[in-house]
Amino acid sequence: MSAFRKFDEFNWRLRYTILLYSVIFSPLQLLGQISLEDDTVKINEVVITRNKIITEPAGFKKTIIDSATMSDYSNTNLSEMLSGKSMIFIKSYGMGGVASPSFRGTRASQTLVNWNGLNINSPMLGQSDLSLIPIGLVDDVHIYYGGASMQLNNGGIGGAINLETKPTWEKGTLVSLNAGMGSFGEYSGLIKVKMGNAQIQSVTKGYLLADENNFRYLDNENGSPFVWKTRTNSQVSQQGFLQELYLNNSDNVASARIWYQSSDRHLPPTMLSTDENERQFDESLRIMLNDNLTRSKSSYSLTGALLMGRLNYSDKLSMNNSRSLSETLVMKAERESHPWNYINLKINLSDELCTVKTNLYDRKVNRNTSTLTASMERECIDKFGITILLSEILLDHKFLIPDFSTGLQFRLIEGKEYFLKASISRNSRIPTLNDLYYPYSGNADLRNEYAFTYELTYTMDQKISSLFNTKAELSIFHSTIKDMIQWNPLNSNFWTPGNINRVNSTGLESEVSMAYSVNKFTASLYVGYSLTKSFPEISDSPGDNSVGKQLIYIPINQANSSVRFTYGEFYTSLTTSLTGLRYTTKDDLAYLPYYIITNSITGIKLPLHNTSIDFSLNINNLFDYNYQSIAYYPMPGRSYFVKILFQLFK
Amino acid sequence: MKNLVKIIILPLILTSCLKSPNSENLNFTFTGGVFIVNEGNYRAGNGSLSFYSYDSSKIFNDLFQSINGRPLGDVPNSMAIRGNYAYIVVNNSGKIEVTNQATLVSVATITGLISPRNISFINDYKAYVSSLYSDSVAIINLTDNSISGYINLRRSSETIGIIGNKAFISYWTEGKEIMVVNTDNDKVVDSIEVGIEPESMTFDRYGMLWVLCNGGFARQNYAELVELNTSTNSVEKTFVFPTKDASPTCLKIDGNGQTLYYLDNGVRKMDIGAKDLPAATLITPQSGQNFYKIGINPYNNDIFVTDAVDFAQQGYLLLFSSDGKLVSSQKAGIIPGSMCFKLVISS
Repeated sequence: MSAFRKFDEFNWRLRYTILLYSVIFSPLQLLGQISLEDDTVKINEVVITRNKIITEPAGFKKTIIDSATMSDYSNTNLSEMLSGKSMIFIKSYGMGGVASPSFRGTRASQTLVNWNGLNINSPMLGQSDLSLIPIGLVDDVHIYYGGASMQLNNGGIGGAINLETKPTWEKGTLVSLNAGMGSFGEYSGLIKVKMGNAQIQSVTKGYLLADENNFRYLDNENGSPFVWKTRTNSQVSQQGFLQELYLNNSDNVASARIWYQSSDRHLPPTMLSTDENERQFDESLRIMLNDNLTRSKSSYSLTGALLMGRLNYSDKLSMNNSRSLSETLVMKAERESHPWNYINLKINLSDELCTVKTNLYDRKVNRNTSTLTASMERECIDKFGITILLSEILLDHKFLIPDFSTGLQFRLIEGKEYFLKASISRNSRIPTLNDLYYPYSGNADLRNEYAFTYELTYTMDQKISSLFNTKAELSIFHSTIKDMIQWNPLNSNFWTPGNINRVNSTGLESEVSMAYSVNKFTASLYVGYSLTKSFPEISDSPGDNSVGKQLIYIPINQANSSVRFTYGEFYTSLTTSLTGLRYTTKDDLAYLPYYIITNSITGIKLPLHNTSIDFSLNINNLFDYNYQSIAYYPMPGRSYFVKILFQLFK
Repeated sequence: MKNLVKIIILPLILTSCLKSPNSENLNFTFTGGVFIVNEGNYRAGNGSLSFYSYDSSKIFNDLFQSINGRPLGDVPNSMAIRGNYAYIVVNNSGKIEVTNQATLVSVATITGLISPRNISFINDYKAYVSSLYSDSVAIINLTDNSISGYINLRRSSETIGIIGNKAFISYWTEGKEIMVVNTDNDKVVDSIEVGIEPESMTFDRYGMLWVLCNGGFARQNYAELVELNTSTNSVEKTFVFPTKDASPTCLKIDGNGQTLYYLDNGVRKMDIGAKDLPAATLITPQSGQNFYKIGINPYNNDIFVTDAVDFAQQGYLLLFSSDGKLVSSQKAGIIPGSMCFKLVISS
């Protein structure tokens, strides 16, 4: 990692930031001294406080991927899991290929991807490639819808995905070995070692993936007779590790996390082209230090992080060879207090200093973004709850118009988990560095785009009997994205971004889940559906026929369902996802048809003394559906994956 | 049982391909008109072929797909007709689709080309194909539609102009030369230095070669219009554009070889004997229009202009009379680009 460098030029900014922190955190310093003498707070309370920070804010929608799903997908990446288990549309170029999220009809750059609350989207592209995030390296995946994402950061107009890693504070050692192999030359391995006690925890995770991706597909795009072909130039190799260290000293929890990952991919051509010379290398190093201090009615958190990302792309044919390195230094401080029952007050100050060095730009680029966020929440413990959040961004010495979000939540029946939620938010996204500085095209005068989002959600959680539980949620939303940044041609040579468009996104999401359990038998069922209409509202071009037309690659209809049964040591699940047609041109004249993909998992978990062994068989695309997620990029047919998970507890 | 399996499997196969609207174009014959090669978006595979018919004053879209039941390919760039065949050069598919020029039914596909751009015919048996990303021009054997050899230019190539036994081949991307090839032995015999990035060229009535150099992708240099003497392989005249903002493209000439046309913030017109570049446009784009390519009917000097709109949806084919008056505007495919006139009625 030659990229480690000193940030001398940022020193003055750091001093400025530290000064601000010292003003906000002056009470913290005093309390920190007291804490040395106070050893009465129990360990578990610290963990609960941590959970409170990520609790669903009153009036907003947030979901957490359940642990069974996380386990089922432990050898895959975030892209594959969200494709089958969420309402987020994943635009994927195939197994291991670039995969970007579209949340509630928005673009990938309008979805935040966070790691323990820190934005890890590329500052150049403004988005994340979800195929580069192995599920095995994270503990929880939290999905924030619409305005709820402002609890984490600004810019997630569609929503946010937060990847959580966290300690368990259990005494002992856990060694977990997860190895799998599957069709098309896929091999993967995951190792986890957790050890420690109530005072100290160490978690080490390592991940390896090698995938030839040489699947057979029916080429039905080059005339009849259709011909079976083998996908070439599609190999993927990934490796990474995550080291976490947690220290629990009474009411103070400190943590250090290091996440390194690299990926080397060959980028396959479309079915209509022959260029097999493209290759992409991604590398990231993320270091995060965090300290949480809890006092009777307040908690304080201080986080420092360095996020580095490298992206090298080459195409031997066109002699295109781009090399980019981004480095972001983050300082984040938060104070949360609970002055009265059910009342949470939170103030958060963060500063991100980003540097990008690339042969695409004509110079090294720096950007500093400071964000001050204050929020008040009354939890909906009894009849109602409310959340009010205000956020102000200072972007390179310039204050932007403040963002806000407000949510109201009502309990419809006393003592029951029936809620009505309503929220409104203004959320803004600053331009990416490519928008601003791309050579000959970047527009340094761009303003941030912003959206007003309105949401109404009905949610219920009803225990029918001691054996049977059911949950349901129905949301409708409407967003108007203004000053949307869009690249448009100046002429045949030059495209440049401008704040030129206004997009409306309206839709609904509905989910129903049921769980039944008796003796050794459990059954769960989930059904979800989303309807999204997302279209430009205006255009300054008389010949533009895109006004009122669905945005490209945004499915209007999406549905997911899954059913899972366990009986003793046996388990099986079936997941089916329907992705509706996606238009591929702005005037909606061409489209890709819907597809339905069904995956199954069947396994047995054998508990032995201090150990357990879990054998499972995954069958993906069970019905061998021939489909394309992106036009002319074939997707694999039926495939198999065998996994062995060995766990040792000591 | 087998039938049942077919019934189940067949929809799974057929529903996988990209759907696009079929126009009402299966019911006409290719008489007089002009083909429009719609480039489509890079890697999106949505390039297509359109035809404007003088008989019906209508445009017919998506012809290759409709007639041959498959997409044309990724980024078709140009088309040329020779004898009974039409040759469509598909850049990012590395191929040339050879079709019957009267019916557009595919008769052959020449594959294995590296980023082909334009095809020019030496005679009935031989053609040259330029290449964006290789340093050689491919030699095509037209009798069996195969690649018979290469001419190593040591640089990329774009436009090919043939006169007598000479081929003049422009070195476009970041280049500033016109390479001269002897078409009898396929050997490079000379090179002529012109302005930066010779993008397009055409012969006039006197056999002089006019070369439009656009000054570079990022307008680093002044664009130039250069007149070459094809007998002596030397520069006769150079017109330098007044500002770097000018980025002229798509040089064409009328049927008499007397009047030049090109795009530079609109359509401009210039007599080959003119002393200066034209100060005014003949046709000025309206708000939101993106003029992309032009074509001049060699018989009546009608001016065809393609409007690519935002390069991401159906563009327009605009037909203007020779004096610049708009005659019609009709929707073409995505990024309507180069044109190929077909003005002789074929059987």
